[in-house]
Amino acid sequence: MATTVSTHQTKWWSGGKSPFNVEYGKVMMWYFLMSDAFTFGAFLISYGTIRFSQNFWPDPNVVFNAFPGAGHANLPLAFVSVMTFILIISSVTMVLAVHAGHKGDKASVAKWLAWTIVGGIAFLGCQAWEWHHLITGEHATLIDGQIQMVGQTTTINPWGQLVAAGPELTAALNNSDQHVLASLVHEHHASQLGHAELMKLPKQDLVNMLSNAELHIREKGPVAFGGYFYGITGFHGFHVFSGVIINIVMLIMTQKNVFERRGHYLMIEKAGLYWHFVDLVWVFVFLCFYLI
Amino acid sequence: MEHTSSEITFHHHTDDETFKKKVKKTTILLSIITIIELLIGLVIYNIHKGENPSAYLVLAFKGMVCILTIAKAYYIVAVFMHLGDEIRNFIMTIVVPLMLFIWFIAAFLIDGNSYKNLRNDYDKHFKETTSPRPHHGHEAPAKPEAPKPEPGKQ
Amino acid sequence: MSDALHIQPEVGTSHGAHHDEHHVHHHKETFITKYIFSQDHKTIGKQFLITGIIWAIIGGLFSVLFRLQLGFPDQTFPILETFFGKWAEGGRIKPEFYYALVTMHGTVLVFFVLTAGLSGTFANLLIPLQVGARDMASPLMNMLSYWFFFMASVVMIASMFIQTGPAAGGWTVYPPLSALGEASIGSKAGMDMWIIAMALFVVSQLLAGLNYVSTILNMRTKGMSMTRLPLTVWALFFTAVLGILSFPVLLSGLILLLFDRNLGTSFYLSDIYIGGQALPNEGGSAILFQHLFWFLGHPEVYIILLPAMGMVSEVLSVNSRKPIFGYMAMLGSMFAICILAFLVWAHHMFVTGLNPFLGSVFVLLTLLIAVPSAIKVFNWLTTLWRGNIRFTPAALFGIGFVSLFISGGLTGIFLGNSTIDIHLHDTMFVVAHFHIVMGVASFFGMFAGVYHWFPKMYGRYMNNTLGYIHFWVTMIGAYLIFWPIHYQGLAGMPRRYLDKSVWVNFSQFHELDKMITVVSIIVFAVQLMFVFNFFYSIFKGRKVTTQNPWGATTLEWTTPINPGHGNWTGEIPEVHRWAYDYGKDGREFIPQTEPVGANESKH
Repeated sequence: MATTVSTHQTKWWSGGKSPFNVEYGKVMMWYFLMSDAFTFGAFLISYGTIRFSQNFWPDPNVVFNAFPGAGHANLPLAFVSVMTFILIISSVTMVLAVHAGHKGDKASVAKWLAWTIVGGIAFLGCQAWEWHHLITGEHATLIDGQIQMVGQTTTINPWGQLVAAGPELTAALNNSDQHVLASLVHEHHASQLGHAELMKLPKQDLVNMLSNAELHIREKGPVAFGGYFYGITGFHGFHVFSGVIINIVMLIMTQKNVFERRGHYLMIEKAGLYWHFVDLVWVFVFLCFYLI
Repeated sequence: MEHTSSEITFHHHTDDETFKKKVKKTTILLSIITIIELLIGLVIYNIHKGENPSAYLVLAFKGMVCILTIAKAYYIVAVFMHLGDEIRNFIMTIVVPLMLFIWFIAAFLIDGNSYKNLRNDYDKHFKETTSPRPHHGHEAPAKPEAPKPEPGKQ
Repeated sequence: MSDALHIQPEVGTSHGAHHDEHHVHHHKETFITKYIFSQDHKTIGKQFLITGIIWAIIGGLFSVLFRLQLGFPDQTFPILETFFGKWAEGGRIKPEFYYALVTMHGTVLVFFVLTAGLSGTFANLLIPLQVGARDMASPLMNMLSYWFFFMASVVMIASMFIQTGPAAGGWTVYPPLSALGEASIGSKAGMDMWIIAMALFVVSQLLAGLNYVSTILNMRTKGMSMTRLPLTVWALFFTAVLGILSFPVLLSGLILLLFDRNLGTSFYLSDIYIGGQALPNEGGSAILFQHLFWFLGHPEVYIILLPAMGMVSEVLSVNSRKPIFGYMAMLGSMFAICILAFLVWAHHMFVTGLNPFLGSVFVLLTLLIAVPSAIKVFNWLTTLWRGNIRFTPAALFGIGFVSLFISGGLTGIFLGNSTIDIHLHDTMFVVAHFHIVMGVASFFGMFAGVYHWFPKMYGRYMNNTLGYIHFWVTMIGAYLIFWPIHYQGLAGMPRRYLDKSVWVNFSQFHELDKMITVVSIIVFAVQLMFVFNFFYSIFKGRKVTTQNPWGATTLEWTTPINPGHGNWTGEIPEVHRWAYDYGKDGREFIPQTEPVGANESKH
């Protein structure tokens, strides 16, 4: 590239033209994205700082192991890979929309934009499911000497260290509520009885039933985990959402021949930059929360 | 003031075929990298499950994932966002400021780590309650002891 | 790939043509589009300036109020109760009121006056005029930038009138105090409003900064290469870059703070007891907020200072009738300052328990800033050296700036050393240091700019006599106020304290504190006189009769005396030389628009 420039002997910086041969809108978009990269960077670095200040951090494979419709099957990272692919594919369709825009091919622009919007909405749907699953999940957690069933919220984290077998655990089981024990028995198939029937049994029987089960009871984990997870994926989701809105506006403008009349589809290009940035951020969110 | 199209000079005259090929190639590349990342993620999971997880091995794998992620970011920015097609100076104005992240990340993480060490030194309770217990593989499930009926209960 | 680079000749030149035609059919302006929702960069600049002036009066008044408390802690001022009611019962400032005043004074002056009011004003006014553009790259975004600032101002003002008062945890709003409403009344709703106002402010700065950068890069007129730009434009460019890259980090930090306040998260909170009650929050780190805050906070001081530096360079060069000494060195040192600004933030945090090794790296980087700063100082001095100086009020303020920058900068070397900082941290020494180097010095740069470009803004001059009074009183006053404060700080007097009478040691400073308070009131009154001069001169000032009253080389003086929207009536002039051809080849000055003569000497 640079060689082409110098052979032309263009005085890029001498004024009277863009030194980058880029219209100001795109320059602004790029620098805005750079600025936004610092917003996300600051979030992710804060997350890292807190994580580095803790002795223990939950293993993402243990936290993110559910898949819609797969019940309690242990499928680490499966769902998030689906989300990642949705976003990559939607990025590809956006590239194609921008490319069609360069050619002034209105029909293709509209088609690929529509697919991008579908991808964006699909991603948001996945995120909604994942959040819902995490918040409403019931995980046996050792809290204040008894077992409680809690989900992942901003104020509590059920993914601490595993509680080793021992008198402490036994005492905790004895202290726990009837319905917690019943759920545990049910979950570990330690009895044929239904939940309602288990509720009628004496507590000690339930504890006995659990004596042979392999319990995955954890302590409370670092609270900041949830805050950062919801905060950062939420902020990213907000970007996806606004990207979808922008793309919808672009689609409407395309259909109303606004760009045809202007003679160029540069707006699509800028919307495309934004959308790819959303994908780019996800690559790093994926890295920080799910992989390492 | 809206600027008319006359200001815009940057037309990509790339022909359809080469462009589509390039996009296709990049898509496949991104997918492969993602799959490798996921595999490494599962490897880490299995190392954690084992009896004596080696911290260094895990760290090495995590480092690999980080490098792969940066490769992915490069392809998204260079191909999908067409930054690779811009003038070198423009690329530099975007890439050079991002170098600030090196010190940004390093200083924050070093200080985070140092805060942990301080607390481990001066806050016994913090150390006792949060340090990973090394004696068993940390995914090994617990089996409660068979409870002995305690006098005075029930 | 390679064919992507077909350069089309109409890239930017057509720009002008397009604007011309725009200019023609833009005459049906109403009052609202001309003065309120104006997209003209000059009007937006004036809007920023006037809003900034109003904020400065508010912020300055707050400092007078808490200086009353510091100077006369045992006296009552019944008039305060008349105005502030329960906040000053019996004419005595309540502790909560005092903290609110200190906090708001800092916030208002740092962000609303010296960031928006200073760079907002002069970036808007000068960038298009000095690079030779009809307007900003995106006038609409430019207008939005002002109105986001306006909204931020409204929210911040509103926070002062709610029952629990505005934020009162210091302008740095460190958690846990700022995160816990139970901790103090200044951490209740006022704190939320502070965060919202600052978020709006960040949006405003972002819109503005993107505009400045792309205007400077893309909209330069023909011949205006980057090294022909006046230093003002370079300074404003670096300011914008600093803002674009650092304000988002503050935004992230504030969003997390907002979550901690309202959603029960624990980003910054851990192990806290309030009123004997343990809070459930655990695992957060209050130091993290300080890191995030100062990642903005340090660049912020250069966001404030750089525009002043740029304007002073220009004003000093014009008024000493000499080229600026070391143009490239000036540019290089501004660039170095811009980079270093991002690398030194933790020198505000030496006593937080920051890792000492990390601290030593921050000390090294901090002290490095002394190098470009010294280069700049020597360049200003050598620019003045044997110059044919015209002591206009603007030039005086420029010289005053250099003086203050030296005095305040030297104490920065004390504070940049982590070992000395252990003694000086959170003492009045820090207050004195940053008020001189960042506060007063930037104000001097701003005054220099206002006096110098007032003729361009309003087609009239400001009153010179009032200008001289303004300068001398402010200059002497600033040193009388802040010089002694250094001694208080060295003696260990803590900052932000309402009443220090329990320390017998500090009783030696009673009379000094009284003097400082009296001088601050006088200086404040003189600033009001400046404000009067400003508004009076807008309507009644002596009229400018020539296009180029200061005999300056830069492009803004080639426009009509009262330029319309679009700045130049005809074509945008082409530029043939750098901005500092003063006293060359026996001529007093050569405008940038004049072609280089055949046998002209090289500079």
